[in-house]
Amino acid sequence: MQAAETIPDTDVRTDEELVALVVGGAVDWFEELITRYQPRVFGMARKYFRNESDVEDVVQTIFTKTFQKLGSYKGTAPFEHWFMRLSVNTCYDALRRRRNRPEHTISDMLFDDENWQDRLGNIPSGDDPEGLEQARELVHTVLDQVSDRARIVLTLQELEGRSIREISGITGWSVSLVKVQAFRARKEMRTAVERFLMKEKRL
Amino acid sequence: MKPNDVNENWQMKANEIEQQFLKLAKTVRTDERVPGGFAARVMSQVREQHALETSSADEQFLRFARNLPDNERVPYAFEKRIMARLHDLLTPDPLTHWSRMLWRAAAPCLGVMMLAMLFSTGEPADPSAALPADQPEAADFESVMLASFDDLELTW
Repeated sequence: MQAAETIPDTDVRTDEELVALVVGGAVDWFEELITRYQPRVFGMARKYFRNESDVEDVVQTIFTKTFQKLGSYKGTAPFEHWFMRLSVNTCYDALRRRRNRPEHTISDMLFDDENWQDRLGNIPSGDDPEGLEQARELVHTVLDQVSDRARIVLTLQELEGRSIREISGITGWSVSLVKVQAFRARKEMRTAVERFLMKEKRL
Repeated sequence: MKPNDVNENWQMKANEIEQQFLKLAKTVRTDERVPGGFAARVMSQVREQHALETSSADEQFLRFARNLPDNERVPYAFEKRIMARLHDLLTPDPLTHWSRMLWRAAAPCLGVMMLAMLFSTGEPADPSAALPADQPEAADFESVMLASFDDLELTW
């Protein structure tokens, strides 16, 4: 669009400056924001969705929503916080809309050669992409058994190490609601893991 | 002056300086700034330690999930795809524009309709009754205008 002429080649701008430019009509600057945040957003989306097309859909929705709501960003908090809040909420909405929830059953995740608990003890290294993929599948299969709210809270609190207050800020839920959800989430997860173990013992 | 006096003086001065320094040190506010993500870092270590100490399956699972590296791979030219979609969104669609205009026109049309309804309900049913008594020529004018139609009715 009209902004293409004004883009200098070597200039590192802050997120807030980029937002101001985009809101001011220089839409092409939004590409810079996408390039900056897309690895993080993909990493986050892959924690909630295992299917790659679902991941791409949700990331596309996140960036489209961000572009449409950019005018409502007031600049009182860092853009990163505002953006991550929008991203997590979009993932939560997408999780709620998703049908046919469990894509893999518990039996799919039982291994002939290895005990389930033994497998949890061996975290694959980065140079074993197949092992990593299998490990991610395992995590998805367990987390698919819990409710959407529980999954959001577990991911934010237990996997990303965020505090209750931070989760409250991201999700927009009250601190006490987050505490209750965190408690329930742990309970749900414990039940899911126990179900795995029971099934394994029975086989 | 004796060497002892010099020593004493020096000692007193040193004490005085020390006191002044302590006074100054007390007035300096403590720097309570916390590095970004410090609490999360400590908490992850605490959780790790807790998971190591407890052997419950759910804790083991969480430790396993926490230590898996994020897969941040981005599909080729993904940002270009998004930008193309955004440009499509920004390009005005004539049909959308037309329907938006129609919706905007709906409110004033409704207003005019309501006003017309109000005027029509306020008027009497018989227009001749509404004619003022001091204007007989209005009724005459109407009968003259419609005279030809009355004749037509008779011929049929």
